[in-house]
Amino acid sequence: MTAVQKRIFINKLALIFSTLSAVIALAFLFWILGILVMKGVSALNWNIFIYEGAPPGYAESGLKHALVGQLILVGMATGVGVPLGILAGTYLSEYGKNSKLANTIRDISDIMMSAPSIVIGAFVYAVVVIPMGHFSAWAGAIALGIMMIPIILRTTDDMLQLVPGTLREAAFALGAPKYKVIMDVVYRGAKAGILTGVLLGVARVAGETAPLLFTSFNDNFFTTDLNQAMPSLTVTMFNYATSPYEDWQQLGWAAAFILSMFILGLNILGRLILLTRKKGK
Amino acid sequence: MASIIDIKEECALHVRNFDFTYKGASAPSLKKITMPIAKNSITALIGPSGCGKTTLLRSFNRMHDLYPGNKYEGEILFDGRNILDPKEDLIHLRTRIGMIFQKPTAFPMSIYDNVAYGMRLQGIKNKTELNDRVEKALKDAAIWKEVSDRLKHDADGLSGGQQQRLCIARAIAVEPEVLLFDEPTSALDPISTQGIEKLIIELKDRVSIIIVTHNMQQAARVSDYTGFMYLGDLIELGYTEELFVTPKEKLTQEYITGKFG
Repeated sequence: MTAVQKRIFINKLALIFSTLSAVIALAFLFWILGILVMKGVSALNWNIFIYEGAPPGYAESGLKHALVGQLILVGMATGVGVPLGILAGTYLSEYGKNSKLANTIRDISDIMMSAPSIVIGAFVYAVVVIPMGHFSAWAGAIALGIMMIPIILRTTDDMLQLVPGTLREAAFALGAPKYKVIMDVVYRGAKAGILTGVLLGVARVAGETAPLLFTSFNDNFFTTDLNQAMPSLTVTMFNYATSPYEDWQQLGWAAAFILSMFILGLNILGRLILLTRKKGK
Repeated sequence: MASIIDIKEECALHVRNFDFTYKGASAPSLKKITMPIAKNSITALIGPSGCGKTTLLRSFNRMHDLYPGNKYEGEILFDGRNILDPKEDLIHLRTRIGMIFQKPTAFPMSIYDNVAYGMRLQGIKNKTELNDRVEKALKDAAIWKEVSDRLKHDADGLSGGQQQRLCIARAIAVEPEVLLFDEPTSALDPISTQGIEKLIIELKDRVSIIIVTHNMQQAARVSDYTGFMYLGDLIELGYTEELFVTPKEKLTQEYITGKFG
């Protein structure tokens, strides 16, 4: 075998192995998704959206309580996480820049992003649930909001830094004060990127169970009382899936399917926005 | 010793014993610059890369203040006041001394909003006045015909040359007294360059212009006065024709004949 033939052979070998690895990795993903879709779709029916939780064996049982609870929790978390994340990201990119403080915040935020979510749940349990004396939607939303902050902070920071410095200078050169430069020019330039960060942040926390176990806990009935335990799709899914009852397990599949589609939808939307922005340039 | 001519016109700006030091630098980047800038004329600054021409230009609207730690010494007189005074109101100063950058800097908003931006910053809200002044600025910048039917479109869709004229329209819409051009055509094709140069010459009836250019032919084509800078010194300031034909300094002679740079 000549040197060239050897190189071609090694090249082919590397290609085969890496393709094989990719296929194996993806196979698991499609396996999971396939079963989820199969079992999930067959478990779907209108009752799910009409009825709240019921004891096993009741025909009129559904997931309305968990769907609404999930939306309330994620919505409130977005209300906490998005403003804090965007403002903190703005500080890093526009004011802190490469200062020691800014870089320390970046490091801490990166650590927070990879912190086990159950730790955040335990933290909120200690500072919110115990003083209040009971589980509440507030506590759940705060836990999810805290998880969202580092994601949105980092994307905002990155996206704002992509806005060319000369654009800022041009606005300053027209006599704009700094806050105007940021709001009118920098935010506008980074609009699509920030929105994508927000969507990905929401998608990330919407699938969380651990931080909710200690905070909003769960409830098998419909409620909008923010001071009480609040059901969520994830915790409901966990409870139903681990129960011995066939119909509860079915509802668990439906919950898993709906949640996955919601998160998938958010991710696709985020990608689409980024894509159209790139095309526009 | 530098050779600086006495200008016959009134001064728009007067630089006196001006030193500029970047943050952390051990030596000043501009050394004892003294130069008059004639009113309603075009003054070009030429010189090899790193000679300090852009640094000097960005001192006139205190652009260096955006990055803390830079140090100004000496005076730049504008309307009898030293604009290097730390108490100078920079927002007001920058509405009187506008700037055009090397790369077009159209904001991510509509063509109309781009031009109206500076006026809105000054608190002008009246629709008719805004409309009139946007139209006038676009006409003065010789781009009205191309954009009049798509004022609400994104400025991103314009070509480089059009964007640069839009930036000029945006700058003149606030009616500044001085316009600073920082290599305004270096990112443009020859035809767009010609358009911008023509426009700059037309503008001098209303504003005093300082233009930094790495292109000596451009300086010769558009300017009334030319300053040659080298390693942070202003070597020579003279009438453009004289400076290019009979330079007084040996260094100027060598630079314009292409011996270095």
